[in-house]
Amino acid sequence: MSLIPSEDRIYLENKFHKTKEPFDPYNRRAYNGYEYDPATGLTTAQILSGLASLAPALESLPHPVAKARAIAYVAENTRIDVNEHDYFPGIYTWNREIGSITVEPWKEEVFRNKIPETDRLMKSFNRSAAITIWPDFDHVIPDWESLMTLGFPGIRERARTYRAYHEKKGTLTQEQQAYFDGIEISYTAILTLIHRLYEYACTKDGAKQKQTAACLHALEIGPPQSFFEALQLMYLYFMVSESIDYYQVRSLGNGLDRTLYPFYKKDLETGTYTREQIREFLAYFMMQWSAIGNYWGQPFYLGGTDENGQNRINDLSCDILEVYRELDIYNPKIQIKVSTDMPKEFLHACLRQVREGSGNLVFCCEPGMIHAIMKYGATWEEARDFDIRGCYETGVRANEVSQATGYLNGVKAVLYVFSNGMDERLGIQIGLKTGALEELETFEDFYGAFLKQLGFFIDSTIAMANSYEKYMEYINPSSIYSGTILHSLKCARDGYQNGVRFNNSAILFNGFGTTIDALMAVRELVYIKKEISLSGLYEALQNDWNGYEQLRHKALNCPHKYGNHDPVTDAYAAAVAGFYTTKIDNTPNTRGGVYKAQLHSAMTFLWQGEKTGASPDGRKMGEEVSKNGSPTVGMDKNGVTALLNCAAQIPLSDFMESACVDIMLHPSAVQGEDGLKAMEGLLMTYLAQGGMSLQINIFDTQKLRDAQEHPEKYRNLQVRVCGWNVLWNNLSRKEQDAYILRAQNQEV
Amino acid sequence: MEDPKRTAPVTDIKYFAVHDGDGIRTTVFLKGCPLRCVWCHNPEGLNASPQMSCYANKCINCGNCRTVCESGAQRMPDGIHQYDRSLCNACGRCESICPVGAMKRNGVFRTVDEILPLLLRDQNFYISSGGGVTVSGGECLLYPEFTASLLRKIKENSINTAVDTCGFVSQDALRQVLPYTDTFLYDIKAMDEEVHIRCTGQSNRLILENIRFLDAQNARIEVRIPYVPGYNADQMEKIAVFLTSLRNLTGVRILPYHNYAGSKYASLGMENTLPKQLPAAEEIAAVQELFWRNGIPVRH
Repeated sequence: MSLIPSEDRIYLENKFHKTKEPFDPYNRRAYNGYEYDPATGLTTAQILSGLASLAPALESLPHPVAKARAIAYVAENTRIDVNEHDYFPGIYTWNREIGSITVEPWKEEVFRNKIPETDRLMKSFNRSAAITIWPDFDHVIPDWESLMTLGFPGIRERARTYRAYHEKKGTLTQEQQAYFDGIEISYTAILTLIHRLYEYACTKDGAKQKQTAACLHALEIGPPQSFFEALQLMYLYFMVSESIDYYQVRSLGNGLDRTLYPFYKKDLETGTYTREQIREFLAYFMMQWSAIGNYWGQPFYLGGTDENGQNRINDLSCDILEVYRELDIYNPKIQIKVSTDMPKEFLHACLRQVREGSGNLVFCCEPGMIHAIMKYGATWEEARDFDIRGCYETGVRANEVSQATGYLNGVKAVLYVFSNGMDERLGIQIGLKTGALEELETFEDFYGAFLKQLGFFIDSTIAMANSYEKYMEYINPSSIYSGTILHSLKCARDGYQNGVRFNNSAILFNGFGTTIDALMAVRELVYIKKEISLSGLYEALQNDWNGYEQLRHKALNCPHKYGNHDPVTDAYAAAVAGFYTTKIDNTPNTRGGVYKAQLHSAMTFLWQGEKTGASPDGRKMGEEVSKNGSPTVGMDKNGVTALLNCAAQIPLSDFMESACVDIMLHPSAVQGEDGLKAMEGLLMTYLAQGGMSLQINIFDTQKLRDAQEHPEKYRNLQVRVCGWNVLWNNLSRKEQDAYILRAQNQEV
Repeated sequence: MEDPKRTAPVTDIKYFAVHDGDGIRTTVFLKGCPLRCVWCHNPEGLNASPQMSCYANKCINCGNCRTVCESGAQRMPDGIHQYDRSLCNACGRCESICPVGAMKRNGVFRTVDEILPLLLRDQNFYISSGGGVTVSGGECLLYPEFTASLLRKIKENSINTAVDTCGFVSQDALRQVLPYTDTFLYDIKAMDEEVHIRCTGQSNRLILENIRFLDAQNARIEVRIPYVPGYNADQMEKIAVFLTSLRNLTGVRILPYHNYAGSKYASLGMENTLPKQLPAAEEIAAVQELFWRNGIPVRH
């Protein structure tokens, strides 16, 4: 029997936006799937105008209080629904409307009035695509354990206790009062919303609606007691934090299987629910995120190791994976925390899903990630318990915030050596003046100039982030998040500003492989083979290789390409990575934490690529650059083991925030049981060699080409873009072509 | 006494070979084969002498090859590249200079010590997956001393070894590699002698004799059976019956015929002998089922 009857599935798929109408996943919250009962509240337009009327009254208030009041206004007035086809309610006004009178004007005020020079610098770096940088509020995971133990009322009560503690000590400052007020008002707002949902549910007769009513009532008065209540709490927290407040929730549970397991076990033991009922709840739960359709994917992770050194895979992990597979969805996305003792059966089930091209799984190697986390001062216990955020970023559970700051374009650092720091597309000086080309007589000179440019990008990012990160709380106080964090309550400081033990910031390297290829091509063509002078090569690049086709072929076929386990290239890759991580790791930021290096691209491999001129490796202007720790498309010609051996030459855990390698395999290479074991062998070798995250893509070009020509036949075909999957049909032709090229390379 | 200067022509080294024995493996292909299977998908391995492949579709007519060619095989009449195989001595200079990889030399004479480091590269993958190194061809046992020496050195590094053979070799060659071979991947193509001759140009008597010999020596054997409609499809039952008589058979692997090698024949200037008819998935499943029914494990 299907987990979800078809009429419910249709409802769920259309809950947040109509599937038959155009949809922009970047702007996913701007939609509603259907109209709610007008008697339940105001329209979104009315709420926006209500917020505007509220604004003057908020002006004189401290930001945490003002923002919490705005949240309360939405929670009290939004239209709501509790539907007969669903276990999880609907919140109609969910596009962060509070931003219009809080976060957005506050952000503008900071950048325009308080740090105008930083604002100018950020704009110019963003335009050049040498550095892509913006204040990040998108990488937060609450302490789910606190939420599950205390529930919403308990979180509010705990905050009251800590407020009283600080008051009694006589140390409660005005800022701290505002901090506690923000939590009080926000959690009261959440409870009000839950009460409204409960009352509305009570007016309904459907079986699911009745169950939902009871569940909501339980959450209004205490912590969750059952599996269903725990899921409901997670969903409600998510909706309020992401959609009314301004903070993305970048994992469901601190390990979904771990957070939910006590409820699962208890419910099965007491007979509260059967395994089938639990699987049904899980199905409706996961469908919420499939329907929301976040472009970046909604993550949660499974697995890891417990305090006794045993892996955490349990029956619930298997149920989650099975339900996910049965639903045949790719959002949420799942990170698998792989430990050395992970049960083979579970690992094979994951690998089988990847091989089938269904689901959306990435493998995160626990040993490497633990090493990374301990490098900035976490204890073994803290590191072992790490969270995975967003794509595959890591952090100490319930005690770390790590904001993504700048995405650095390594290829631009190479190009700025040619142009002496001028950005030719913009016609302005962005990079450093590293000297005229005639002065770069040897490759040592060129390489030294490149490192100066890269170092300048790092220094500039740190300067900009140091400037704006002081104002994160001012722009966007995190009352709801802070309420879940014990450390934040103890020190009475905003959790996202400086209220956790590790208030860190990440700096991301984009185009790493292409950068190394570009350096190697300069070394080979100009300095070793002397095929052309440096200024001649510069001219070729300025002409986008037009008129230099032969030279371009030589550049493309340069024997030293990243990803092939070539000793010289690997040495430079390790050296550039070492320069980058040494300069960034553990540099203090302005929030009491440190900077962490990250080898991750998100969308910048496309965005920055578009604004980057032709590069010495043979790449044409505007083409994508390499992503994550992966090779340039089509340039890894020695097979997957060479690529992983090459990556192993880089101490990946020095990228303390995260590092990822993408591999592409042809289906014929991994067919049958032998193929599955081979995939396992690749993953476990990567793990043993100090790997961090591994993304495995399995496709043949024939299928992808057919999908290009006959999109109607492949409506569900999905491919991994970076740390998330998208439907093939949603990729641009250019992106599809690049993907085909990548797959083709594995068929040689 | 082993001769460290002994060489054999190496066509290719393939990493992440997952269907040439257990686990993740690296396969070394030696050049030269005593059989002429009509379906051969490695035609570059047939002739023992070095040969050039010319991929005309990749050529950009840059003329670089002509500047280094001493035999006159590379020409550029009217600026268009022409390659005259009859003049070529397969020296490989053109391969080194071609910017687009249009020329490729098949068969470079290498010593054991030259290729050994390349085979140790993926040692960590072998450990994780229970894999190792497979020596294949062509027919690697045309070079028994070289192959035995290579296998011995691989074993010295505690790496699992496999030999992929067509079995049409001397018993002495088998004896030489036996002590250093963990698994023989042994091809059986037909039981009826006339069918075998039609498919491969040779009798199968020696092949069947040799597999019995290996079995008697307690060698671990995995049999590989190409399945080619119109050629050996009717031989499967007989092969299955024969295999039940072996004591050390670990299983069989059915290799469904494919015709992807067409461009290789063209690049080598060889006549394409590939059959047209491809097997259906159901046929392969039925053949696998046949072996299972006879108590023979089928690897896939």
